[in-house]
Amino acid sequence: MSLTAFSLAVLATSIGAGAAGAILGLGGGILLIPILTIFFGVDLHYAMGASIISVIATSSGAAASYLRTGLSNLRLGLFLAVATIGGALTGAVLAGVVPTRWLELTLGLALSYSAFTTIRQLEDELPQGASEDRLAVRFGLEGTYHDMALRREVLYRARRVAGGFVAMYGAGLLSGMLGIGSGAFKVLAMDDLMRLPMKVSTATSNFMIGLTAAASAGIYWSRGEIHTLIAAPVAIGVLMGAYLGTAVMARLRNTTVRKLFLPIVVYLAVSMILRALGIHLP
Amino acid sequence: MTERLVARVLLVGGVLGIAVIVLGLGLYAGQGGFRHHVLRVDRALPREPGVFVSIRQVVNGMRRHPVDPLAVSALGLVLLMATPGLAVAIAIPAFVAARDFRYAGIASLVLAMLLVSLLLAGAIH
Repeated sequence: MSLTAFSLAVLATSIGAGAAGAILGLGGGILLIPILTIFFGVDLHYAMGASIISVIATSSGAAASYLRTGLSNLRLGLFLAVATIGGALTGAVLAGVVPTRWLELTLGLALSYSAFTTIRQLEDELPQGASEDRLAVRFGLEGTYHDMALRREVLYRARRVAGGFVAMYGAGLLSGMLGIGSGAFKVLAMDDLMRLPMKVSTATSNFMIGLTAAASAGIYWSRGEIHTLIAAPVAIGVLMGAYLGTAVMARLRNTTVRKLFLPIVVYLAVSMILRALGIHLP
Repeated sequence: MTERLVARVLLVGGVLGIAVIVLGLGLYAGQGGFRHHVLRVDRALPREPGVFVSIRQVVNGMRRHPVDPLAVSALGLVLLMATPGLAVAIAIPAFVAARDFRYAGIASLVLAMLLVSLLLAGAIH
């Protein structure tokens, strides 16, 4: 394939992955890494390097708008970023020494889990009850936001902060080791463990994703894993796709659309796991 | 407000980074790079001309005549990678001005960890 054809094909694929990622609520990177390796024959580490760049690009745009509207909690994000960046540093160093097939297996499993979370009905109900977590009080891990659907100001305060912190280290580890944003895992920690409102979790996770990815990106870069001619079309494409997907989602308001994409995600997850076992699917 | 300041840095850094990447690709197309270069996707050595592993290499590419267009795009990538760190750096004086010393400290810790990542990167390189 000529470079022109390759670049255009990667750009188009990245737009698709970015849009699908936004519609599924996954993020483009975790979809793109298997696509680049399986269909374009790109080295796994180049694919991870391109993905981590696209993660920073999309996170910056999304985080900027969520911070302005007050949905993203800056203090909460910075506090938890200490854990995710710690995890990312560990993960990015590990990615340089762990054999490729183990990375493929981990990516396949992470993708399977993410697919599962998109199927699971996400409750938009607000967590109830007062909380008395000492760390939350000490670090002011609380806030308010205006809920459009409920038409009122919602007050929240984090619970189980220590547990959430540990889970965030794990999310950061996956991000650094695989070159993904691992937003699904960050939301899991904030929503399920710390019992924060879903909207706040998602918006705050967007801010943290960029910080976490920036920590691993430098390490990938110095190992020679970020190829300008691969990372550039991927970053531009995923960014365009993410805007497209978000616009489509806002109009559709129908979560059944997500189910249309699930077979693709399942296929990618299964083929990554099989690759790790030495079986290459068509 | 700290949030707005951080949001602005993220937005400007992101847009600028992407713009510089696109500029570099445009120059590369102008030089006929897309038609002549045969891309290797298997990470074999010697390194591809599109792979930069240090800021010095990027600067050297920018100084060349004519300028190395891939170095321009790589500069855009570096801008993107630096954006989250810059946003946190801006937040530190803003927290201090708001007399929130606890979070000025936490933001400094986050920035320090990002700098540690550069040290780790340097050690690998």
